[in-house]
Order: sequence, then structure tokens, then C-alpha cells
Amino acid sequence: MQSNAALEYDYSLAKKFTFLTILFGFLAMVVGTLIAAQLAFPELNYLLGEYGTFSRLRPIHTNTAVFGFTVSGIFATWFYLGQRVLKVSIAESKFLMVLGNIQFWLYFVGALAATISLLLGYSTSKEYAQYEWPFDIVVVLIWVLWGVNMMGLIGIRREKALYISVWYYLACFLGVAMLYLFNNMEIPTYFASGGLGDPIHSVSMYAGTNDALVQWWYGHNAVAFGFTVPIVGMIYYFLPKESGQAIYSYKLSLLSFWGLMFVYLWAGSHHLLWSTVPDWMQTMGSAFSIVLILPSWGSAINMLLTMKGEWNQLTDNPLIKFMVLASTFYMLSTIEGPIQAIRSVNAIAHFTDWIPGHVHDGVLGWVVFMIMAAIFHMSPRMFKREIYSKKLMETQFWLQTTAVVLYFTSMWIAGITQGMMWRAVDEYGNLMYSFIDTVTVLHPYYAIRALSGVMYLTGFIMFAYNIYKTMTSGRVLSEEPQFRTPMA
Amino acid sequence: MNGLMIKSLAFSALLIIATIAVVMSLDIDIFADSINAITMGGAIAIAVITSAVTVKYINQMKTDTASGELADENWDGIGEYKNELPSGWAYSFLALFLWSMWYGFFGYPINAYSQIGEYNEEVLAYNTKFEATHKNADSVTLKEMGESIFLVQCFQCHGATGDGLSGKAQDFTARMNKEQVLDVIKNGSNQLGYPMGAMPAGMASGAEAEAIASYIAGGLKGDAPASYGACTSCHGVDSKGNDGMSPNLVSYDALVMNHVLQKGKKGVLGKMPAFKTLITPVQEKALTAYIQSLSN
Amino acid sequence: MFHWLEKNPFFFASAISIVISFAGLIEIVPNFAQAGKPLIDMKPRTVLELAGKNVYMKDNCMSCHSQMIRPFKSETDRYGDYSLSGEYAYDRPFLWGSKRTGPDLHRIGNYRTTDWHEAHMLNPPQIVPGSIMPAYDHQFENVADIETAYAEAVTVKNVFHTPYGPEIKRGREAWDAYRPTLIEEARLIAADMKDERVKEAMAKGDVPEVVALIAYLNSLK
Ligand code: HEC
Ligand code: HEC
Ligand code: HEC
Ligand code: HEM
Ligand code: HEM
Ligand SMILES: [Ca+2]
Ligand SMILES: [Ca+2]
Ligand SMILES: [Cu+2]
Repeated sequence: MQSNAALEYDYSLAKKFTFLTILFGFLAMVVGTLIAAQLAFPELNYLLGEYGTFSRLRPIHTNTAVFGFTVSGIFATWFYLGQRVLKVSIAESKFLMVLGNIQFWLYFVGALAATISLLLGYSTSKEYAQYEWPFDIVVVLIWVLWGVNMMGLIGIRREKALYISVWYYLACFLGVAMLYLFNNMEIPTYFASGGLGDPIHSVSMYAGTNDALVQWWYGHNAVAFGFTVPIVGMIYYFLPKESGQAIYSYKLSLLSFWGLMFVYLWAGSHHLLWSTVPDWMQTMGSAFSIVLILPSWGSAINMLLTMKGEWNQLTDNPLIKFMVLASTFYMLSTIEGPIQAIRSVNAIAHFTDWIPGHVHDGVLGWVVFMIMAAIFHMSPRMFKREIYSKKLMETQFWLQTTAVVLYFTSMWIAGITQGMMWRAVDEYGNLMYSFIDTVTVLHPYYAIRALSGVMYLTGFIMFAYNIYKTMTSGRVLSEEPQFRTPMA
Repeated sequence: MNGLMIKSLAFSALLIIATIAVVMSLDIDIFADSINAITMGGAIAIAVITSAVTVKYINQMKTDTASGELADENWDGIGEYKNELPSGWAYSFLALFLWSMWYGFFGYPINAYSQIGEYNEEVLAYNTKFEATHKNADSVTLKEMGESIFLVQCFQCHGATGDGLSGKAQDFTARMNKEQVLDVIKNGSNQLGYPMGAMPAGMASGAEAEAIASYIAGGLKGDAPASYGACTSCHGVDSKGNDGMSPNLVSYDALVMNHVLQKGKKGVLGKMPAFKTLITPVQEKALTAYIQSLSN
Repeated sequence: MFHWLEKNPFFFASAISIVISFAGLIEIVPNFAQAGKPLIDMKPRTVLELAGKNVYMKDNCMSCHSQMIRPFKSETDRYGDYSLSGEYAYDRPFLWGSKRTGPDLHRIGNYRTTDWHEAHMLNPPQIVPGSIMPAYDHQFENVADIETAYAEAVTVKNVFHTPYGPEIKRGREAWDAYRPTLIEEARLIAADMKDERVKEAMAKGDVPEVVALIAYLNSLK
């Protein structure tokens, strides 16, 4: 057993990214709630003129959630736990500190500028890769900076063997780097046309079906290496750390990790089932998606088994609740996705609200829950103060859990209903429903989803408030807690 | 079974029942369409498997205790057991892997399966049957069928009641309005492909044209204005189009429908697209029956 | 067994890179040349239609509309023939979408017309009661960026050999020479429209966004 006291970790970068996580999380959810409400009450499209329509705001929501909130969360937790599991303070290297700060400012300014560009209508329109080329360059720079920083820290580590979390952060770095580069190959038209038109505009290097293939090889794996891999990295650190339990099985960690790495990339074509992509590729995407259930569930099961015998912790530590619930939502979304990847099921599910339903099981139940739990765990260590209110945390937990359940149940019913209505034929064999019938029937579910958005957002504001109060008026701690997070 | 398991399975059941109830309330038969059936099966699998498995492990938090041999390593106070793989997990992994091989080589053989081939077979069989079944459908059936096709394909322009959305498209409660007739008299027309070819421009003007237009828009009732004679040479003395040589100006007969659906039509109100392939012959008959019923 | 790897960050990272590269190499690379072929005799979009495509992207219509008719009877009955790979060969980017909050638009040019689009873009629920599509009034005010569309045509012609005619070439002079052709094409569309703002803009020699957009929608067949 080593003692932590010997090492003073530097949390300045972790803190900075934590603030951004909260800021971008708030923005993403405000916009998410607004667009959810717009589908139920279309008058809300006209609050901001041209800039307030559902269609302009939707990419703001997704990009702020993915590249704002989630990526900040990944950076914040890396700059916290990276040091700890490698047993080295980042402050030991001036170089890494400077690099980290450059990364932070570039990221902050870049993310804001990119968001504004989307609002203005600059978009290459590939999902989760909408940013135009100047912002792509900034993204790549930030990613390289982070990579160098991570490798640097690993280079000066004291702990020889890499902890499981580090595997996942490394994979996140490599995977996103590769995918992002390939998918964002585009040619600025201004330079290729002898100085005509808008310098920011570009065209994709790929066309048609090829473009679709590259995009969804990226898109699916942006989910894999953005919403899954690093979040698994987080839970592998924060759950055992918070609970003081040892990881249930090294073998299970190992097989799940390499299984995930191998299988994930094959599954991208499940976004293109029944399209003009060759049949054999669709078959592979479908089959590998089903196989993917197991490496995904492996990590979740490993986490649940780590908590074996710890029922009392589950009932009286809300932080453990957050993480156990996150694991179960991870399991839900990683069986729901594969089932939706079955050809016949996808014939109905694709294009319907069942897909956003699946998405938000994952992001609200898994990603956001895990990142909030991480921040709750880190805050007392970073700010040397006790969590301001356990009660608030409990209330937040139940409010948001209800919200996620409302979100996915309403979208599940809406999606299946809509998918079946599109196919339905009357007694004579002609289409039974006009398209608009399949829209108006969804109104109640859209309204429920909007309500769930308000609830979830309220929970997030409670979270932000709790952290703010912790920083400013939590009871000061004399020494860093080893496992369980102290809360008032 | 303990409380948590019962609760979570009950929740799954509730969700599934709610989904089925909503779908059935829309007159959709879940089992008539295998895609629907498989989808419901998938939904049930998601809900039940997730509930059962997660609750199984959560229950272990209550009943089991952590045990095993600890590895030597330790990161920031986190240890690691050297436990074996949970066997259920390991066997499922293996089984799914084998299944995926079966799926790729036999289920949807990657060298042989074609979704387009499947579609062509299915649609050919369907269409043959559809056209045969409804070849001699009676007028009530045709009208009902026509209404449902109309509500899928036509109502976006002609309005749910067929009134043409206040002049944005043809109003089916009458054959033509005055404005339309005047326009054709003034400008002629040559787009519908009748054997007679073009309708010349300027056949009448001023008060004469007005009178003719009112007469046609009024449903050709009463005495025709004198100048209307110029028209009957082509449209027939009964104005019904001279056995298909030119359009029927009295009602939406089968030929009017056929010509407009094949060619589309641009008039004063706007442009009507052609529906060359979207509407089959039986569907055209049905639409005719329905549209005729609107003007009566 | 794997433990040595976990002590060697370099090999560890290399192993990850290799394992995750497999799928892309096997699934994507072999198909590239094949799937890039256009249908016989297919023409690329005109510059005006490209400008419309850019409006479609700017207002992000694909957040609600797909352009992919799947080979199901229910879809071909509703929207027309199922989509073919070759039809997309000049689409950069592809605009298939992933969500149908509104209907598919891949063949919308077959069964909707300019005047209908004009009325619909101005106020969807007035035309289709219950529609939740937003009104795009600003497209009647904003001027389409036709120069950028021309730059795009030049780029794809020069870089990807998209078969545009000799009139599409680099530089401002070529653009100035081409412009009247484009305006003429836009005039034909605008002639079927009623909105005063459109008429005014066209009279000034500008092309409103909605005109370009409708040109694009009409080209989807
Ligand atoms: C030379 C033959 C000829 C004469 C004379 C003629 N028509 Fe026609 N008319 C046609 C043909 C042919 C069409 C179909 C035009 C097309 O294909 O677009 C037509 C179309 C029309 C239509 C549009 C029908 C529809 O379904 O859209 C109206 C209304 C009409 N004629 C009214 C008149 C009136 C009123 C007169 C006399 C003042 C007249 N026609 C004289 C040949 C004639
Ligand atoms: C995109 C809009 C649009 C759609 C969709 C549409 N129509 Fe029309 N239709 C029009 C317009 C506009 C006119 C009037 C043209 C004029 O005379 O100005 C019209 C006219 C007609 C006429 C009168 C033609 C004549 O010669 O007098 C018939 C019949 C008709 N439509 C039937 C249909 C049917 C059946 C469908 C569906 C299968 C349909 N329309 C779908 C726009 C549409
Ligand atoms: C919030 C979702 C939403 C957005 C964003 C949206 N639409 Fe729609 N759209 C719909 C819905 C719902 C319908 C069906 C009801 C209707 O016709 O209005 C529709 C219908 C249409 C139709 C008619 C299709 C048909 O078959 O009848 C066209 C064309 C269309 N939209 C074009 C666009 C364009 C172009 C944009 C972007 C500038 C856009 N839409 C943005 C939801 C949307
Ligand atoms: C085993 C793992 C998973 C598989 C096999 C899977 C499969 C799928 C499938 C089949 C779709 C629908 C594609 C379509 O028809 O449009 C989809 C969409 C999506 N999934 Fe998953 N999923 C998995 C896990 C997750 C997780 C954990 C998350 C997030 C935390 C997630 C986020 C998404 C997103 C964002 C989309 C929407 C993509 C789009 O924009 O169209 N998925 N997934
Ligand atoms: C307050 C909470 C939220 C609400 C109410 C909400 C609402 C929405 C809505 C209405 C959509 C559009 C669905 C459609 O087009 O039909 C959407 C899409 C999406 N949201 Fe959220 N959202 C929330 C939070 C989040 C968070 C926190 C994330 C990620 C961390 C996220 C990620 C996404 C993604 C990836 C999509 C695209 C899905 C797809 O294309 O299929 N959302 N959200
Ligand atoms: Ca980009
Ligand atoms: Ca999507
Ligand atoms: Cu995916």
C-alpha cells in the first residue's frame, strides 16, 4: 500500500475543465429541452428568428452535448485520475502544465466559436461532424495537445502497469483521432476555385454512398469512443474508488476491453441498414452489433459485481446510486442498440423516435450520470471541502431518474407507433395513414419528452448549484478523503 | 423472486402493454406483418432481459459478499481480484459469436442475399394479387379505397375535403372555377395529351369569355351563351369531351383523371404534378370514383 | 498473459490502433470504387441547385427529412422507386439523414411543385394542418450565396472530375460570365411564385434563398 500523502496532485486543469463541463452541459440541456418542446409546440420555433428554428438548434444541441459537455468531462476526469493512477503529479512537468493550459484556452474559445458558426448556418451537415474545416483544424490541434499531454504523463509515471481506466482513455484518444481525421476530409472551395465565394465553405472528399459509409463508420464510433470508452474508463476508477471495493475480475476487464476494441468498429453499418450500401456490409454491421452486447455488458457486470455485498453503500451513498444506475442504463442502451440493429427491427426503428430514445438512454442515463458522479467525487478533493448537500443530491437523483424513464418510455412508444403506422395498410392493401397522421399522433409523447427535459434540466441545475455551494461554502476538509466522499 | 425483480419485470410488462395498446388502437395488426411481429419481439427482449439481468446483479449486492484472490497491484488504493469470468457471460459471448457466423453465412449469406431481390419478389406477388382482386370492384369499394389514397397522396394540395385549400389547387366540389376557364380561353392549353392536341388561345374574349366561363363554372346549367358554340366543336355538344378527343368539362370522368395523372397540369391555380408511377390503374379508378363523389 | 502489454504503453497503443483499424480496412476500402459510379447519363446538379442544396444544409433540413427510400413496399408506395447508389454519386456530402420527423424527400420533385413549396415553406401548418415543420420566412428575405455554389461546382469539377461543362472554371471572370445563365434559371422558378419579396429581389438581380432551395427540391426526382 502506498500512501497518497506523499504526493500533491495538481488539480488546476481538472478544475478548469470541470467548470466547462458544467457550463456546456447546462447549455446542451437548455437547447435540448427547447428543441424537445418545439416538436410538441411548434410556435416555439420563432423565439430567435432565423436562429431559433428546430433545425438550426438541433446541431447546437448535439455538438454542445458531445464536443462541449462530454469532451470537457473526459478532459476534466483525465486530468484528475490520470495523475492518480499513474502516481505522478502533472505539476512535476512544467511543459505538460503549459500544454494543458494552452489546450484549455484553445478548447474554450474554439468550442464557443464553433457553436456560433453552427448558429450562423455553417455546417458540413454530417452528423456529429458538422463543423466546417477551420474548426476541424482547431479540434485536431486540441486533440493532439491532449494526446501529447497524456503520453507525456504516461512517460513520467511511477506506476509501471497501466490501470484499466488508462487503457480506455488511450483508446478514446486513438480512436477519435483516427475517425475524426478520415471523416472530415474536405476541400475548401474558396481555394480550389481561384478565390470565389465563402472561404469557410468546403465540400466532402467522399460522395454519396461512400460518404455515408465513412460518416457512419465515424458516427457509430464517435459514440463508441466518445460516449462509451472514456465513460467506462471513468467508472472503472470512480466506482471502486468511491466504494473502496476491489475490481471484481481482472480477466473480465481484459476480455471486455479487447472485445470492445475489436468488435465496435465493425458495427457502423447498422446505421445504413436497408440503404444503398452493399448487402454484405449491412449483414456484417448487423451481426457484429449483436455480438457487441457482450463486451459492453462485460464492463457493466464487472462494476455491478464489484459492489457485491455492498447493499448498504447503495442505499446510503447517493454517489454509488448514480454509478450503479449509470451501469444499468449502459446495459439498457447496449442491448437496445443491438436489437435495433437487427434488420427486421431496424426496418421499423430507423428514422423514428425510437432512435433518439435509445440515444438518450445512453447519454442521459449513462454519460451524464457518470460524469456528474465523477464531478461529485472529485469536488471535495479538488476544492478541499465537503459536498454541500447530500439531500439535494438525493432529490436530484430521483428527479433525473424519473426524467430518463419518461424520456425513453415516451420515445419508445412514439417510435414503435410511428414505424408501424408508416407501414400500415388498410383492408384493400393501400397505405392506411398519410404522413401527417403519423406526426400528429405523436403530440402527447413529444409533450411528455419536453416535460422530462424540464425535469432533467432542473436536476442538472441542482447539481451545478450543489457544486457551486461546495466550492464556496462547503465545510473545509483538513485532509483528503481516501474513499467515500464526505457530504453534509 | 424478490421485490425488486418483480417490480422491474412489472415495469417492463407495463411498458410493453402500453406500446401494444397504442399500436392496436390505431388499427394496426401486429402479427399480420412479420416485421411488426419481430420488432415487438425485440422490444420485449430488451425490456425483459435488461430488467432480469441487472436486477440479478443488483440483488447480489444484498446477498453475496466480495471474495477472491487479490492481485499484487494497486492503483491509487484500487485493488483487483483475480476472479474467473462469470460463466453466463462467457458462454453467451461464445454463443453470440457462433450465431453471428451462422447469420453471416446462412441467415443472410454475405455472398448471396439481396435486399432488392427480396423486394422485387414480394412486390411483384403483391401487385399481381392486388390488381386481380380489385379488377371488378364495386363503386362503394372504389370510393372508399379512393378516399384513403387521396388522404395519403393528394390532400396536401387539395385539402382534406378536396376543396383545394382556398384556391391553391383544384376544388373538387365543382368541375372548374371561373378563373380557370377564363385562363384557358385566354391562353389556350397544350399539356394534357388529348387526341385533339392543343386548345387554341383566344377563342373568345371580353364579355363573351366572361359569359362562357360563368356558364362552365356554374356547372353548364341553363342555356348556353351563344358564343359557347365555338367550344362545342371540340368539347362536344354535351360538353363531355367528344368521346375522349378533348377534356370533359362537366365532370371528372376517367379520362380527365387519366390525362391529368399522367401528364400533370399547370394552370392559374398552380401546378399539379404528374403521378405516373405512384398511382396504379386500380388506384386511379378508385381516385376517380372518390373525386366524382365530391362534386355530387 | 497480457500483463506485459499493460506495462508497455507504446505497444499497448499500437495494439489498440491495429485492432481498431481492421474493420475499416475490410468493410470500407474494397467498396470505394464500386459505389462511386453514377447512373448512366446522370447529370450533376446545376449551380442554382447546388446553391439550393447549400440552403438545405444551412437550415439543416436533414434534421427532420431523409433522402433514402428503402426497398419496402410501404415506402415505394408513398415516395416512389427505391433509391439507388448511383443516384448519389455526385452528392457531396450525402444527405440521407437519420430521422424522419417529416417525410422523405428523395423524390419530392416528382410530386410537389414550385407554387406548393412556396406556400408550404412560408407556413407549413396552413397547408398541411397539424404540421410541426417550422416556417422558413427568412429564406424569402435572405439572398442565396450563388457565388459559393459556383465555387463548389468548380471545385468538384477540377478535383473530382464531376462532369460539368467548360463554362464552369476557375476565377472571377468565368463566374461573371456564368452568372446570367444562373439568374435565367432562377427566373423560371420565380415566375411560378407569388411572394413580393421574391419578385423584388429577382428584379434586383439577386436570388432569394427560397428560390434556390426550390430549384434543388424540384431536382430531387
Ligand atoms: C380545337 C379544339 C378546341 C376548342 C375549339 C376548344 N377547346 Fe377547350 N380544350 C381542347 C383541348 C385539346 C384541351 C386539353 C388541353 C391540354 O392538353 O392542355 C382543352 C381544354 C380545355 C379546358 C381545361 C380542361 C381541364 O381539364 O383542365 C377548358 C376549361 C376548356 N378547354 C374550355 C374551352 C372553352 C370554354 C372553349 C371555347 C371558348 C374551348 N375549350 C374550345 C380543345 C378545344
Ligand atoms: C403538389 C400539389 C398537388 C398534388 C400533390 C396533387 N394535385 Fe391535383 N392539382 C393541383 C393543382 C395546383 C391543380 C390545379 C391546376 C390548375 O388548373 O390550376 C390540380 C388539379 C387537379 C385536377 C383537375 C385537373 C383538370 O384537368 O381539371 C385533378 C383531377 C387532380 N388535381 C387530381 C389529383 C389527384 C387524384 C391527386 C393525388 C393522386 C392530386 N391531384 C395531387 C395540385 C396538386
Ligand atoms: C421540425 C421538423 C422539420 C424541419 C426542421 C423541416 N421540416 Fe419539412 N416537414 C416536416 C413535417 C412534419 C412535414 C409533414 C407535414 C407537412 O407537409 O408540413 C414536412 C414536410 C415537408 C415537405 C413536404 C413533403 C411531402 O411529401 O409532403 C417538404 C418539401 C419539406 N418538408 C421541406 C423542408 C425543408 C426544405 C426544410 C428545411 C429548410 C424542412 N422541411 C425542415 C418537418 C420538418
Ligand atoms: C452495443 C452497443 C450499441 C449498439 C450496437 C448500438 C446500435 C445502434 C443502432 C442500431 C442505432 C440506430 C441506427 C439507425 O437506425 O438510425 C443507434 C443509434 C445511436 N446510438 Fe447506439 N448502439 C449502442 C450503444 C450506444 C450507446 C451506449 C450510446 C450512447 C451513450 C449510443 C448512442 C447512439 C446514438 C447517438 C445514435 C444515433 C445516431 C444517429 O444520429 O442516427 N449507442 N445505435
Ligand atoms: C435535458 C435533456 C435533454 C433533452 C430534453 C434532449 C432532447 C433532445 C431532442 C428533442 C433531440 C432531437 C430528437 C429528434 O430529432 O427527434 C435530441 C437529440 C440528441 N441529443 Fe439530446 N436532449 C437532452 C440531453 C442530451 C445530452 C445530455 C446529450 C449528450 C450527452 C444529448 C445527446 C443527443 C444526441 C446525440 C442527439 C441526436 C440523436 C439522433 O440524431 O438520433 N442530449 N435531444
Ligand atoms: Ca467537419
Ligand atoms: Ca441522427
Ligand atoms: Cu451505432
